Amino acid sequence: MKFKNGIKEKNIIVKCGADAIMPFSLMFGFYIICFGTISPGGGFQGGVIVAAACILLYLAYGHKTTTTAINEEFIRVNEAIGAVLYVLLGFCGLFIGVRFCENVFYEFFNIGDPLSAGTITYMSYAVGYKVLTGVGFLLLLMIGTLIGGDDDEEEVEA
Amino acid sequence: MSYIHFPVIAVMGQFLAAFLVAIFGSKSRKASQAITLIASACAFVLVCLLIKPVALDGQIISYWMGNWEPVSGYAIGIGYEMDALGLFFAVLVSFIILMSAIYSLRYLEHDEAVDRYYTLFLMLSGSLLGLVMTGDLFNMFIMIEIMTFSAVGLTAFRNYIPEALEAAMKYLVIGSVGSSMTLAGVALLYAQTHTLNMAQVAAKIGAMQASGGLTPTVVFAFGLMFVGFGIKSFMFPFHTPVADAHPVAPTSFSMVFSTMVIKAGVYGLIRIAYIVFQVMDKSSVQILITAFGCVTMFLGVTMALAQHDFKRLLAFHSISQIGYIITALGLGTALGLTGSLFHVMNHTLFKALLFMCAGAVLHMTGSKNLDELGGLSKKMPHTTICFLIAAFSIAGIPPFNGFASKWMIYQATYEKAVESGNFFYALVTVVAVVVSVLTLASFIKVTMSVFFGQLPEKYKDAKEAPASMLIPMWITAILCLGTGVLYQLVDRTLTAPAVAASLTPANYVDKMMGSGYAASFSVKDAVATAVQHMSYWNPVLWLTLLVIVMLGVFIVILSGDNERGPVLKTKEPVADGKYATFFSGEKYRHSHMGGSDLFWGFKHDMKPYFDFIEEKHSGVLTDYTLWTIVAMAVIVVYTFVFVK
Amino acid sequence: MDATIHSVLSVNYVAAIFLIVLGLYTVVAKTNLIKIILGLSIIDYGINLFIVSTGFNGGTSPQFTLSELFSGQYFVDPVPQALTLTSIVIGACVDAMALALVIAIYKRYKTVDATEIRRLHG
Repeated sequence: MKFKNGIKEKNIIVKCGADAIMPFSLMFGFYIICFGTISPGGGFQGGVIVAAACILLYLAYGHKTTTTAINEEFIRVNEAIGAVLYVLLGFCGLFIGVRFCENVFYEFFNIGDPLSAGTITYMSYAVGYKVLTGVGFLLLLMIGTLIGGDDDEEEVEA
Repeated sequence: MSYIHFPVIAVMGQFLAAFLVAIFGSKSRKASQAITLIASACAFVLVCLLIKPVALDGQIISYWMGNWEPVSGYAIGIGYEMDALGLFFAVLVSFIILMSAIYSLRYLEHDEAVDRYYTLFLMLSGSLLGLVMTGDLFNMFIMIEIMTFSAVGLTAFRNYIPEALEAAMKYLVIGSVGSSMTLAGVALLYAQTHTLNMAQVAAKIGAMQASGGLTPTVVFAFGLMFVGFGIKSFMFPFHTPVADAHPVAPTSFSMVFSTMVIKAGVYGLIRIAYIVFQVMDKSSVQILITAFGCVTMFLGVTMALAQHDFKRLLAFHSISQIGYIITALGLGTALGLTGSLFHVMNHTLFKALLFMCAGAVLHMTGSKNLDELGGLSKKMPHTTICFLIAAFSIAGIPPFNGFASKWMIYQATYEKAVESGNFFYALVTVVAVVVSVLTLASFIKVTMSVFFGQLPEKYKDAKEAPASMLIPMWITAILCLGTGVLYQLVDRTLTAPAVAASLTPANYVDKMMGSGYAASFSVKDAVATAVQHMSYWNPVLWLTLLVIVMLGVFIVILSGDNERGPVLKTKEPVADGKYATFFSGEKYRHSHMGGSDLFWGFKHDMKPYFDFIEEKHSGVLTDYTLWTIVAMAVIVVYTFVFVK
Repeated sequence: MDATIHSVLSVNYVAAIFLIVLGLYTVVAKTNLIKIILGLSIIDYGINLFIVSTGFNGGTSPQFTLSELFSGQYFVDPVPQALTLTSIVIGACVDAMALALVIAIYKRYKTVDATEIRRLHG
């Protein structure tokens, strides 16, 4: 992070503002993931909102703090775990004896409960997890390359 | 009936394996390789198990994701379908993926972060399998995009090479324009028919054709999708990224790229032209596709003659062979389509083999410059024999498989010329034969300058490639000869069902949407006539002749003086030292027309042409996009004016 | 469907085609790689606008219960919206990947001018 002449650290207002907004943005994102199946929203949208908090963290505390606070390797592995969960949930239908991606396990709750949508709910959560890690990872990487960190960290994975 | 689940398990297994590699592969190279091998072997077995029900018994697997079956004649879910055409490509994809996975075990031993390679590789294979199995237009677009991303990522895998990044950028920009055009075509079709299922779109377009011709929206959609899949198959003005990507990409990816990623575009062309739009009985469309294919094959082979980089030369040959395939599929006849699909398969086999040989040479010597290499036949005998088999195949020498399919293509174009009385198709036949001769010439040059001649001092210690690279090479080499000799068996098992499936769209629609659906929209059922393949051709006789000739050659060699040529000793750079005193007396004028070139005189005579095309392949991205967009405009205008 | 809706619709389509053509022009005419990527994005936006427009035929939102549904009711086709969402995500991925490549290219070639990045030619 480059500062203008004479400025040694980030503006205190930005820091305090980010501190104040961060919990709300995280909670809003997780709310949208959790209730995505029965109300507008969903895993993808919520995941992007949570991942946007990365940008907030970066704006307030700069590149170095962000990369020490967030373990990139951990995020990368967790993104893959989200994708694996999604595919395995899709295979649930096959294991039970119906088609791939077929909705099962929906009879345990009343209509309107967050979990009443069966595997679709869990798939939506898996998508949310994958997107919040994936987009967060992407943002961190792109910011990292712009800062001019080490040369060989360009991730060309979509 | 459990086999109806096989397609989706094959596709999703690849994606699952891709993410498992991302989880477990970063710590250990062995884990990534094991997961990749298991996943690709599973996919190959699953696809091969489908040959019996789909290709031999003639079933079509329709599989609705989540069991969302059509409601009152409207497809509401995403459907996978597997007819013989899709199966044909799926068998090739899974075979090549397996071979490439085995080949990459040792080939990538000097690279780091192979887990990223294998993640992208498995995503590529999953998207290719998904592309040939899906029955949904938008799903097809998604698979194309995944394919393009993974292919771009793999091109730039060795990102310490600047050229790799450059090639990836060119591929990404031109490929994205193609994907966007495909998406625009899909959107137009959706606006017109309110469905995304290919079978239902085919039914509605069939009804449209039965009652007064295509609407302008559908014609526009066809033009855009033709451009989109044309870019994905790298035909003539869109061919530039493939030539740039090959020299710098890892060879284990090059062989998949050159064989199957290109064929994905060919598959898309066949699927949309024959089944979705059913426009192949219009002579305007036939001329359009054949003309593009014809230019592609001529330009590809002439550019290949001027190359000095082993892999770039092979890339231009890929373009040339794709030209053959597109020419033949554009004829719209059963024989033409048979030749086209057979050549798809043969090109997959011999081009994979050629790239594996080039990769073995590159891996063992570290060079892919034709001017530096030489005399490797003594050091790498297995690679040499495999390369000779592949070169015979691509040059169309009997009894190898390339000859069988090329013969079919000559016969198809000639019959088309006789049948339609159009002089254009006779010209196409002549061009096809000339291109075949030039291909042979080009491969004589490559064989002479890499495997024969004098061995430079530098490569005195070159060794034979390791076993994990030789095994896929030998398997593919045996298949190259086997499919040439036993072409009737191959035809009966794979090609003929695929041709029949492409020519009967009504059957496809009925299996997907419920029987009687096609008739209610009056989809015409094109006649799948019995084809007299290769009337004058008996491979067993030719095999006997080949064996006798080879015996004669060996006797002559054994009876002769057994002394080998001396190892070339020179202090100069090898590019200048080798054949430096060429008898014409003309020194290297510039590297594109050196004295080391066997066809120096030919190229000297045709110098204005070669200079022109080399200058036009300027390497500037904006030039290439300009070609792309001009060609797109021409195709769209042409379809508007001539396709009714 | 009244006349205003038709005119609104046609404005959508004209804007979509304008954006697509503008994007194609940018890809061809500009030599700066960043601008070429912007052109690709503009093509995507034009196509997205087009897809959303095809779903709109002058009705209400597609969210209703069975009691609110009556015969002859128009509602907006939800499928194109789902397609657009997917397409936007893919477009974002293209941009991210292309920009990452441009950063890498800039480090190796010290330029983002497409006319100077031509080591592979001929």
